[in-house]
Amino acid sequence: MDTDDEFMSNPSSEEEDMMPDDSDNDMSGDDDFDFDDEPDPEDIDIQQDFGSKKKAVYDIDYKVYRPQDIQEQQDDLIREVNMILNISKEEAAILLRHFRWNKERLIEEIMDKRSQTLETAGLSENHTQVPRLQVIPCFACDICCEDEEGLESFALKCGHRYCVNCYRQYLTQKICEDGEAARIQCPSDDCNLIIDARSLDLLVTQDLTDRYRRLLNRTYVEDRDSLKWCPAPDCENVVECDIKKKDLNRIVPTVSCLCSERFCFGCPNEDHQPAPCDLVKKWLKKCADDSETANWISANTKECPKCNSTIEKNGGCNHMTCRKCKHEFCWMCMGLWSEHGTSWYNCNRFEEKSGTDARDAQAKSRVSLERYLHYYNRYANHEQSARLDKEMFLKTEKKMVSLQKESGMSWIEVQYLSSASQALQTCRRTLMWTYAFAFYLARNNLTEIFEDNQKDLEMAVESLSEMFEKPVQDLADAKVDIMDKTSYCNKRRVILLNDTAQNLAEGKWTFNVEFTNPTPLGAVGSSSRR
Amino acid sequence: MSLCQNRLQEERKQWRKDHPFGFYARPQKTPQGVLDLKVWECGIPGKAGTIWEGGLFKLIVAFPDEYPTKPPKCKFSPPLFHPNVYPSGTVCLSILNEEEAWKPAITIKQILLGVQDLLDDPNPESPAQAEAYNMFKKDRVEYERRIKRVVRENAAP
Repeated sequence: MDTDDEFMSNPSSEEEDMMPDDSDNDMSGDDDFDFDDEPDPEDIDIQQDFGSKKKAVYDIDYKVYRPQDIQEQQDDLIREVNMILNISKEEAAILLRHFRWNKERLIEEIMDKRSQTLETAGLSENHTQVPRLQVIPCFACDICCEDEEGLESFALKCGHRYCVNCYRQYLTQKICEDGEAARIQCPSDDCNLIIDARSLDLLVTQDLTDRYRRLLNRTYVEDRDSLKWCPAPDCENVVECDIKKKDLNRIVPTVSCLCSERFCFGCPNEDHQPAPCDLVKKWLKKCADDSETANWISANTKECPKCNSTIEKNGGCNHMTCRKCKHEFCWMCMGLWSEHGTSWYNCNRFEEKSGTDARDAQAKSRVSLERYLHYYNRYANHEQSARLDKEMFLKTEKKMVSLQKESGMSWIEVQYLSSASQALQTCRRTLMWTYAFAFYLARNNLTEIFEDNQKDLEMAVESLSEMFEKPVQDLADAKVDIMDKTSYCNKRRVILLNDTAQNLAEGKWTFNVEFTNPTPLGAVGSSSRR
Repeated sequence: MSLCQNRLQEERKQWRKDHPFGFYARPQKTPQGVLDLKVWECGIPGKAGTIWEGGLFKLIVAFPDEYPTKPPKCKFSPPLFHPNVYPSGTVCLSILNEEEAWKPAITIKQILLGVQDLLDDPNPESPAQAEAYNMFKKDRVEYERRIKRVVRENAAP
């Protein structure tokens, strides 16, 4: 880790180095403001419980690579295999891709059964000559059937020879349209020889080779489980993290790219701390399926008092007969119809016992629906607020400029607004996911502590949010207040995340759903408490 | 001349010079009587020694403009009762799939022989129609009886 410090996106180690040269994009970035995973120095004292001075409990180890680092990594591996096995670099690259960059397995297999391994990887042991463009007398291309004199042709080591134009067209199709690169085979039927980078250079133009190399980089990252592209638009960085699939129920692996994009390494979603990936997946699916439907059901239907089938009354009188269980009841009071007499269109029996019982039962069966809607509405509300806060941030930038003019503050002095806005967005995001998390929590003491933390953060966020409503001239006077509130928000967020991450790592939460791949809990042990 | 037209003309030349016994393959004529090299009408005989023997099945092979970079589309006309033939008659075969095993060097002869092989050797991994697939999986006797009927309906002249 020491040697790679420059790639660490650990803000504490990077902040000092990054600040001066990145100051031009500070307006959109967060370099000077630490709302990130890493707590502020003053945050440390409130989390002494957690020991480690540098890391919060919810932090994980990861590195961020730039595109050139990715290229270097591949080149290093290729050079190594090239030297150990005494094969060309192009062949080493093809072999490595075939073995998904698992160098140890590659060497083992080659030592074991050389020719068979080479063949399945799409290589040939035939050392006749290096493939090159040739003009061969009396040659006719099998693809275009051209046989004119002086036609340039090309063949890989397999000897399947086609004219340069056909080869070029074939490669263009594969690279541009199909997006293939690592496994483009010889155009001949039944020949699985892979086209190497040097042959490709002979055949196609520069723009195609560029795209080819980009595609190869893409397969490199996709082939390795420990690498993932940063999902931010136009960001070409790659994050490396060694999180294992089976650990995802105990850790929420949020990483932060150099471009300041925060995302989850364990699933394709954005940063969703504190909720674990599996719950997020369940939640998103539930919301996609349920939220609107649930609202409608809640507003427009009742349940049969006997079999709980959901019923919509679409006309007619109050005398209901459940289509499923044939139970007869009154729509108004939910009581038995047999006790009801003949009041088809109005019901005045509200106080009768059978009706009260039925309504109680109804209320109970509605509880789970209401519970879901409770959490969903808050989740959706924070999601929307986070979006609005983002728009607010854009306005904030303008405010910062006008504030500079009006109050004579320097650019550095108005940065507190940008910090506050960033804190607001990050905390909103966290809050939003706390509601998804809470939906799946079973009720116990830990849950109550969690809800207290959630409430504290929510109050902190709302009170900071309020400050932004102020007119520009008041913002200058409120500077200290805003800075205090910003720092308080960040602290509350760190406390909440630390608490949830700690309990998650120790398997202390009780959820009301099963994880999709449950891990044996005892396995965590006490070692995670530092 | 375009690559597609050039190649098809050559394919036609090769076919006329030599082709497997019992098969036929010729470009269709447009209603105006002009030869359309991009749509071929072909006939595939059932292999001798299989339940398909004695049948001759009409296959329409349509070549896209991108041929031979992209594979032609093969369609039995009328649609054929076979696990790997879609209800529309389109043949599901790896060498005819651009994402799978299609290579520009595959000739019409190879395609037709490939489809002939498929007749008696269906691929249960990629079913294309429910009826033939289910019968093939569940009731082989009934399946063979049905095939024999199909062969009678499409008997070679």
